[in-house]
Amino acid sequence: MANLGEQLLNALTLAGLLFLVSAGLSLVFGILRVVNFAHGVFYMLGAYLGYTTVVLTGWFWPALVIVPPVVGVLGALLESSTLRFIYRRPPIYQLLLTFGLALILEEAVRILYGPTAKGIDPPAYLQGAFALGNLLYPRYRLFVIGLGLVVAMAVWLFLRKTRAGLVIRAVAQNSEMADCLGANVARVRTLVFGAACALAGLGGVAAAPMTTAYLGMGIGVIVDAFVVVVIGGLGSIGGSIAGSLIVGAAQTWGAFYLPETAMVIMYAVMGAILIFRPWGLFGEEE
Amino acid sequence: MRGTRGLAAVALVALAVVPWLAARHQLSLLTDLLIYGLFALSLDLIMGYTGMVSFGHAAYFGLGAYASALVLIHFAQPVPVALLAGALLAGVVALPVGWFSTRATGIYFAMLTLAFAQLLYTVAYKWRELTGGSDGIAGVPKTTLFWGGPSLATPQAFYALVAACVVLSLVLCRAVVRSPFGHALEAIRENERRFMSLGRDPRPFKLVVFVIAAVFAGLAGALFAPFRGFASPEVMFWVFSGQGLMMVIMGGIGTLVGPILGAMVFILIQEVLSSYTEHWMIFTGVVFVLMVIFLPDGLVGTARRLWARG
Repeated sequence: MANLGEQLLNALTLAGLLFLVSAGLSLVFGILRVVNFAHGVFYMLGAYLGYTTVVLTGWFWPALVIVPPVVGVLGALLESSTLRFIYRRPPIYQLLLTFGLALILEEAVRILYGPTAKGIDPPAYLQGAFALGNLLYPRYRLFVIGLGLVVAMAVWLFLRKTRAGLVIRAVAQNSEMADCLGANVARVRTLVFGAACALAGLGGVAAAPMTTAYLGMGIGVIVDAFVVVVIGGLGSIGGSIAGSLIVGAAQTWGAFYLPETAMVIMYAVMGAILIFRPWGLFGEEE
Repeated sequence: MRGTRGLAAVALVALAVVPWLAARHQLSLLTDLLIYGLFALSLDLIMGYTGMVSFGHAAYFGLGAYASALVLIHFAQPVPVALLAGALLAGVVALPVGWFSTRATGIYFAMLTLAFAQLLYTVAYKWRELTGGSDGIAGVPKTTLFWGGPSLATPQAFYALVAACVVLSLVLCRAVVRSPFGHALEAIRENERRFMSLGRDPRPFKLVVFVIAAVFAGLAGALFAPFRGFASPEVMFWVFSGQGLMMVIMGGIGTLVGPILGAMVFILIQEVLSSYTEHWMIFTGVVFVLMVIFLPDGLVGTARRLWARG
């Protein structure tokens, strides 16, 4: 029983991280119709900047608060200096542009930080294990699960219950109509892109104490996040939540029962879902 | 039209004359460029002519490379047998992947191809007994052209084989895109809904062209392994798929010749930059971003447009 509980919590931890990354990926697609290939690099950037902040301040919490906005501003700057000019082109060009941005950022991080991984310690009172009945589980991982839950709730409430959320949903539905009704579409796009990058950055900071900050962590996570949004349906926050849980579960149980084939199980699940719903569980046919 | 034929003749003569003029390392570089050119050419079939952006095309190049390496090392067959094995394996694997991926369109297709390619990459990485894991397979020999036939171990001989394969592939791909099948592909690219409203199912067309493209990518990989003497997981990695897309965009999407040229320019830029700095990737990225924004038609596409304008 303890084993099953541990697997479940591992799945939830992974799902929490995956949600932070895939929510932004999905949101950017919903609003800008862009598959942001650089999204994983912003996650990596979050982890590295988190490391720097921890080194400079000696604390973990400032990293969690400062880094996401910094990553978000960088994302917004990149959107308004490159992507903004090619929205009218076929989607492939935007995908390729973000691929180019990913190369640039990845190499920039390599220049700044060198090739070795950078470890971060979790804050003191999140170190060690927490007793859940007869199960001892790392406190930090419980914190990540909580963070994922809180952010998921916050994003959902923001989109559903605030006026800004309403405007964003309007732009996602029909950007021309929203433009006619007075929404500043260009600004909404920049802000959403920045917010999505900030979410990815937050994911990176949260992941760093578990995985360290290392080059290549961006692509690792973005392939998983792609699977999440393909399963869940692009542009849907509910889909990101569902997809994260499914991928988190598939990877965790796969790694436990069939260590060599964990990846295969994730793709098998994705394949099975797509046979019945080629546009994902919560997606809409294009 | 006459202009293109003239250019083609010049290019053929240049390809044939090069072995007598070029120094050893130049010839080796040109062989390399042609192999990448073939890879980019195959990607243009699905990307430029059918409008399907695959982010996992490196997988088929890699499958071709591994199959060719294994055949040459374990069975000591002539190189063409290895080429056949590489092209065949790529095509066979592309069949189920294509069947799945072509169920989705646009971005979903791109993501599915990426996901499957990363899966194949992981298999190549983990299956140590067969693939040598992260070390890959080294010591792949350049055997002969046929049983007891001429050796391919000289740079000139292998160059001739690669050049012949690339020219033949270009001719075949041209025939494909100019056939009624090719016109159907272009119709799908232009407007898939209209194609369907004519009562035709686009999926078999997409699946077939996906497999054809994989076969040519497999051929490129199968040439790569004996040429470089190794096959390693890097040639299956997503970065290489992305570089393939860059080559196509640089040369000109939907032009067949363009991607070959684009591959050459792309690799040459890398060669030059990497001799100045180990961080050449950042400059490649910048060049690429600028190309996407300012030269979306690529070199050949832009040249054609300027030519047509006069």
